[in-house]
Amino acid sequence: MNDGFFKNTWKHRAHVVMALPAFLILLFIMYVPMSGLVMAFKNFDYSKGIFGSDWVGLGNFEFLIKSKDTFLNMTKNTVLYYLLFTVVGTVLNVTVAICIDQLAFKKMGKTMQTLMIIPVFISYAAVQFIVFAFIDSRTGLINHMLGTRTRFYSNAGYWPWILLIVKIWKDTGYGSVLYMSVLAGIDTALYEAADIDGANKWQQIKHITIPSLIPMITVMLLLSVGNVMRSDTGLFYQVTRNNGGLYSTTQVIDSYVLNQILHSSNFGYTAAASFFQSVTGLLLMLLANFTVRKIEPEGALF
Amino acid sequence: MTTRAATLNQPGKKMKISTGKKKIGPGQIILLFFVLLFTVFCFAPVILVFVSAFTDEMWINQNGFSFFPGEWSMNGVNSVLRYGKQLLTSYGVTIFITVVGTLAGLLVMSMYAYSISRPGFKLARFLSIFLLIPMLFNGGQLAGYVVFTSWYGLKDSLVLLIVPLMVTTMNVIILRTYIANSIPGELMEAATIDGAGDYRTFFQITLPLLKPSLAAVGFMMATAYWNDWQNALIYISSNNKKPLQLLLINIQKSIEFLLNNNNVPAAARAAMGNTIPQYTSTMATVIVVIGPIMIVYPFFQKYFIKGLTVGSVKG
Repeated sequence: MNDGFFKNTWKHRAHVVMALPAFLILLFIMYVPMSGLVMAFKNFDYSKGIFGSDWVGLGNFEFLIKSKDTFLNMTKNTVLYYLLFTVVGTVLNVTVAICIDQLAFKKMGKTMQTLMIIPVFISYAAVQFIVFAFIDSRTGLINHMLGTRTRFYSNAGYWPWILLIVKIWKDTGYGSVLYMSVLAGIDTALYEAADIDGANKWQQIKHITIPSLIPMITVMLLLSVGNVMRSDTGLFYQVTRNNGGLYSTTQVIDSYVLNQILHSSNFGYTAAASFFQSVTGLLLMLLANFTVRKIEPEGALF
Repeated sequence: MTTRAATLNQPGKKMKISTGKKKIGPGQIILLFFVLLFTVFCFAPVILVFVSAFTDEMWINQNGFSFFPGEWSMNGVNSVLRYGKQLLTSYGVTIFITVVGTLAGLLVMSMYAYSISRPGFKLARFLSIFLLIPMLFNGGQLAGYVVFTSWYGLKDSLVLLIVPLMVTTMNVIILRTYIANSIPGELMEAATIDGAGDYRTFFQITLPLLKPSLAAVGFMMATAYWNDWQNALIYISSNNKKPLQLLLINIQKSIEFLLNNNNVPAAARAAMGNTIPQYTSTMATVIVVIGPIMIVYPFFQKYFIKGLTVGSVKG
């Protein structure tokens, strides 16, 4: 095993060949576009290309900060929705996992879990039709049940709640699977011993179940920190039907960038927002990983 | 990690205590009620799609969407045929990108995972880091769009629907973890000693043993391909390359255009509203789009749950 690097690589040439296709895909799909981030410092002109366009230094960023409303609003929305979804999502994922795990009707529990997971497989392009059926002002199920004509699609105030409910509906079943697998791994002797000691169900959950979930919860939370600036684009773009009147509560960085790609060709400003998003993501990811390594080395990504 | 991974292999172990001798108290009934309630919350909207597709269009217009419609009708389902040829084309496109992307992705990712888990392969360290970096840092949507369209000259091409989703870091990690933890290295060593080349060892020993993990990753990839609307929306413009998700988006846009555009004469609008069952046919189209996943999902559920858990346990 003391051979030199080149000799070793030659000996393993078959492995190099096998790694090559995925390597090239990563290179061209993930790495090369990183160079596109220099657009943030350029006055991007399609005909001149990325490197040919003129430098503008921090001009795009100045513009971004000056147009406070759009940028601040979408950054605020991005972060607040992240917090809302993460807190509510984690609590519900864990609760649902514990409930199904505690259920004595095992077969039923399994079936119900199967049904709960289904929404995660429905694309947002389809989800928006389902949401429409519930909240349309004229034909929506909710308005008919309440006998009202609430115009959800033109009132931004309702949307944080609507999006939260849609998100819970779509992701909770799937999100609980991970925690269920941890619960399935708890040594049953612990519960039996607690039973003998006279601990009731609540005490058992409080002192055995929840503590055993804490490491997984910590790791999942900390690793999600790297994605604060990234959102579930479909939720914000499709479910809201990309309705401009709702942007004050529904526009996030990802949906803004998507809109610019689709409807604009002046990318300098968008590139600055995109750059901000990538760099913040990297910093938060490094910070999160560093913290995870301190708390639970097993959970660290690298 | 070892405790978590080890216990995962015995899902039946936990079940023993709760079933059998314990009697079912009122607490269990209340618990069942709440879990059932949440299940209804999750599944009812799916039922509404099916019911609406078979409801009479006029009835929805007057009474709104309902789980218990007053009048049933096959018109919505029939008028999906209105999109007839396009629907068929889009189905073909979606199936094509899903099958090609998933199979090709599984092959290249498992080869990569296999290579970086070979003991004594010095380049593996670099390849692992190369794999991890995109998870931490990437150019984002815009840079990708500009690079793909202006440098690679790709526009309106199915390549853009297939290749970008083909290799993901998380999936390679799942495969690598499975190779490292569940396939004994001795097997591969033995094959080499018996004179099998590196390629043969991979294709005849590793790949067949990797099946459970491939099923899990493959299912997740297939749903990602099937549901991908964003790349299609950004890059695809010609009708013969439109996948199902883009068709759904176009249907929504054309309905919205009809409803909101004042340039369309009222009479024309009314006439169209009467002849085209919008609500019901759209729901019927949604069924057509989500149906295949719902049918396939129960068969893959156990693999996919296992795959999800293995992925969370880093090797």
